[in-house]
Amino acid sequence: MPLRNGKSPANRRSTKNGANGRRASHPPSIAKAALPATRGMWVVAQDPGVRRADGSILMAKIQVPAEDLAAGPMGYRVQVVDYDTSAQTYHGRHDLPDEHGQPKAWAKGVPKRILSDYRFHAQNVYALVMKTLARFEYALGRRIGWSFDVHQLKVAPHGMMDANAFYSPDEEGLVFGYFPGQGGKTVYTCLSHDVVVHETSHALVDALRERYLDPSGPDQAAFHEGFADVIALLSVFTQLELVAELLSRLARKKKPHGFLADEEVSAKSLGQSILFGLAEEMGAEIDVTRGEALRRSVELKPNRDLLSTQEFIEPHRRGEVLVAAVMKGFLDVWTARLEHSKIRGQKLHSVTRVAEEGADIAACLSTMWIRALDYMPPVHLTFGDALSAALTADLEVRPDDTRYELRKHMLAAFRSFGIAPSSGEPGGVWRKAPGNLSYDRVRFDAMRTDEEEVFRFLWENRGPKRLNLRSDIYTKVLSVRPCVRLGGDGFVLRETVAEYYQVAYFTTKELRARGIDVPQGYVDALERAKKEKQNRRKRQLGNGAAATEAGGAGAEGDAADEARAEDEARADEKELTTPIYGGGVLIFDEYGKLKYYVTNDVLGDLQSVRLQYLWEYGYLEAGRNGAHFSGERLAALHRQRAIDSRHFSGHGW
Amino acid sequence: MTKPKSVEIRAYQVGFGDCFLLSFVYSARKKKHVLIDFGTTALPKGAKGPPSKHMPDVAADIQTACRGKLTAVVATHRHADHISGFGTDAKTGKSGAVIAACKPDLVLQPWTEDPKAARNAKSATNGRADGKSRSPKSFVAGLTAMHRIAKEIHDLALAPPDDLSLTVTKQLRFLGEDNLSNKSAVENLIAMGSRKGAKAVYAHHGSNAGLGKLLPGVKVRVLGPPDLTQTEKIKKMKSSDPDQFWMLLGSHAARDGMLAASGNGKGGKQNGRRANGLPVPPEARWFRDRLASLNGEQLLEIVRQLDRQMNNTSLILLFEVGKKKLLFPGDAQIENWSYALEDAKDAKHTQKLLAGVDVYKVGHHGSRNATPKELLWEKFTKRGAQKGKRLKTVMSTMPGKHGATKRRTEVPRKSLRDALASESDLTDTETLGFAAKSPLCHTLVIPI
Repeated sequence: MPLRNGKSPANRRSTKNGANGRRASHPPSIAKAALPATRGMWVVAQDPGVRRADGSILMAKIQVPAEDLAAGPMGYRVQVVDYDTSAQTYHGRHDLPDEHGQPKAWAKGVPKRILSDYRFHAQNVYALVMKTLARFEYALGRRIGWSFDVHQLKVAPHGMMDANAFYSPDEEGLVFGYFPGQGGKTVYTCLSHDVVVHETSHALVDALRERYLDPSGPDQAAFHEGFADVIALLSVFTQLELVAELLSRLARKKKPHGFLADEEVSAKSLGQSILFGLAEEMGAEIDVTRGEALRRSVELKPNRDLLSTQEFIEPHRRGEVLVAAVMKGFLDVWTARLEHSKIRGQKLHSVTRVAEEGADIAACLSTMWIRALDYMPPVHLTFGDALSAALTADLEVRPDDTRYELRKHMLAAFRSFGIAPSSGEPGGVWRKAPGNLSYDRVRFDAMRTDEEEVFRFLWENRGPKRLNLRSDIYTKVLSVRPCVRLGGDGFVLRETVAEYYQVAYFTTKELRARGIDVPQGYVDALERAKKEKQNRRKRQLGNGAAATEAGGAGAEGDAADEARAEDEARADEKELTTPIYGGGVLIFDEYGKLKYYVTNDVLGDLQSVRLQYLWEYGYLEAGRNGAHFSGERLAALHRQRAIDSRHFSGHGW
Repeated sequence: MTKPKSVEIRAYQVGFGDCFLLSFVYSARKKKHVLIDFGTTALPKGAKGPPSKHMPDVAADIQTACRGKLTAVVATHRHADHISGFGTDAKTGKSGAVIAACKPDLVLQPWTEDPKAARNAKSATNGRADGKSRSPKSFVAGLTAMHRIAKEIHDLALAPPDDLSLTVTKQLRFLGEDNLSNKSAVENLIAMGSRKGAKAVYAHHGSNAGLGKLLPGVKVRVLGPPDLTQTEKIKKMKSSDPDQFWMLLGSHAARDGMLAASGNGKGGKQNGRRANGLPVPPEARWFRDRLASLNGEQLLEIVRQLDRQMNNTSLILLFEVGKKKLLFPGDAQIENWSYALEDAKDAKHTQKLLAGVDVYKVGHHGSRNATPKELLWEKFTKRGAQKGKRLKTVMSTMPGKHGATKRRTEVPRKSLRDALASESDLTDTETLGFAAKSPLCHTLVIPI
């Protein structure tokens, strides 16, 4: 395990020049060749359980954005900290080899070397996190900052001994656990492609939609997990090496070498052999960490009623439906496409061609779903919203869909699982923004970056027939992000994406006056909490009054009593309030005109249903200070997934 | 001797634990006695001595009360606070030997304690991973694995690393201890059940408790726990395999400990944080410290989950004596209740039966999740009724040991205790105190 330490990262950097850590061979004044934009890094294609026929681990070389890496590795967006808190051991800063200096054992996938070389583990997580970040930045056409206020995401490849891996915003990082598997060999979650991409996706979704970890409806709770699975699985299938390897196992001897028969590339056959086949090979032990997303995506048969069953109310089960729908879409697109790649008259398909199509489609779908994030409402997401967002985002950047018909297949796959797009427009895309908006008092340039200017635009157009912004409710523009994407016609597509959210604290009476139903059990609990608080205050004030009396205060005491009475009145009012949230996303075109306006009204119809759900499943509680929402940390969600736990309504005290 | 004329319930002071002696009074001379649980994990401050001193006193009192003969012993589930007193080792002062000397005719435990299931469950199985459905074997292996995890967590909490907070350490120690395997107690329970002339029954929802002939005029229904065929049937789709999760975690706990530096000889902290490896550079220290506190939370989460799963193996027993109904649910939590009251075929009938309960042994020492509020408590019709007809509740508990007020998980949960006090006649072992002259138990008499 080659480890180095001693010099600070700053010192180390000063000895390097250019990418890949090569030493300077000429004075800086002489012009140099352009630095490479990417750097090829070997990673485990899926996990160490997926092997070639010769027993070696299937590897893939991925291109990640090149940068001047410090030992750690530590780059401009990621800092690998190889500290193991269970063993209280620091494994040192890992100095990664440059592209051509990578050990041959890494390329070959020699199991012993891959499993025991912590420097390789560090490269594996670094490369996959950076690749995922690059994929998100490519799809969204802009840099993406993390949800916390620092540039570098910390990553612990051997963070603790635990059958878990998770993203923790409070720790500003990703933690990958390790644990002994059934044969006694250690299972490293940092070596599983899908696990690393899954956790990175959590961090990126949190960066783009900070309110999605809040308690809302069942779909939003499931989305984080389901979406992370979708991106992780599609990422696995974008690796040509892996898809080709899986397909080559299908090719029987009778056929010409490198060809597949017609029936072997049907949706059913590909589902069984590629998706299920890979699921079978993945290290079974690690299923307790990742759930069994891939296996489930094959096992869950299309069923329009699935989401309304009690079993699939659980966030970790509900997310599986999102994954199953996207993976069904993937298979449908792939098999439809293969109809065109057949060798005429022979009913044969070239393995290479089939693999290339599969990897391309996975990449396309991955881009589609990442882009969709920009078109999703910032609060209270439903699966239908996510679908409409994906369809709209794809239509904007890739209007010509004749090659893969992604939108058609995605729509059909989602419908087969009972998910209809939220938008009633043809093709399920979002409705265009109203045309009667006023732009007279806002400035184009400022609108591309300035939150104040976007708020001004919202304010100017707040009327019910325009943007219908509730002006009496606290509103905050969360972000304004200019994006540059390459359109299908080769021209640059510029958009500005802004999101705002709204929050109001209403008493039960105020909520009901606005047409929002409040669960009676919750109202009773609020009343009880209020009484409890009042009694407590009385007791406290009683003690205070006794103290005042003893001190002989006169007029001062009266004034203090009045102030207390006022405080109490204010406290009573505050105690009975429940916060409700709303918000919207605005997509401006290159001329600064609003193209799409996707909103969840803070006083919308779904608030009653949402409050009922939150109360029933224990996410909404009545406390001394009014409503209290209890969200679940992602680490806990993963654990619930592993032990298949179930929420119950109305049982707690 | 066809019908009992009354039932005496003795609720013993065992600190944080359960111990109830039910005496069915057929005549002044003829009584039949059923001991439900006998365990503790903590005694109150000011206790006259450790459990090894106190538990034999309780056992002796039980022996006197039953005049040396128990009709049945019930061990609702394997947690230490319910069975440690059955141990015959020095830890509880051989109190289990006193109980064994009372020669119970029947030892009733949940199906998960059947030694036949345990015998097959020594090695980890793949459970679902190999395509088979969850088996009793894998389930019991999961429970065994939980003991191993608990042991390691307990050991760790006894010699915690510097960066584990005091609160987390205390909770890990308490929950870890409660989930340790009680080999001596388990063996004694098996031995009592296999005594010549005695019977061991391992029950599940709807099965026969085996008390029919032993307790004339008393009907005992087993409402929980459900067995696997019952719980798995309600699932439409396959899901993850919890047993496998526990087994994996258990195997690593047994081999390496939950923290390699927990003083188990395989790591060993030597010098503050820098136990092994290389010095931690400045840029990594903040994250290192955060990782340490995260690890404490993760361990706590694991031990809470396994505690909960073990609680859910609790027997839920309903004694029907004449028109009176006595409900003893051990530490059953919502998952266990939910099967009996919602998912089972006879759930509606059970709901109806339970609505009329006269005596309720408060589940899990008054924790927030063991007395389902809407499903059970609010349906008790005798809540708040006039004296005489009013619901009687019995709670064995000790505050300050389990959960935290700030997180609203304290045991007993304040809001539940308030409801118990205002809407029922509550008998609480906490009020027994622990002074030199304090009585060992409360005794309730329920006329039939």
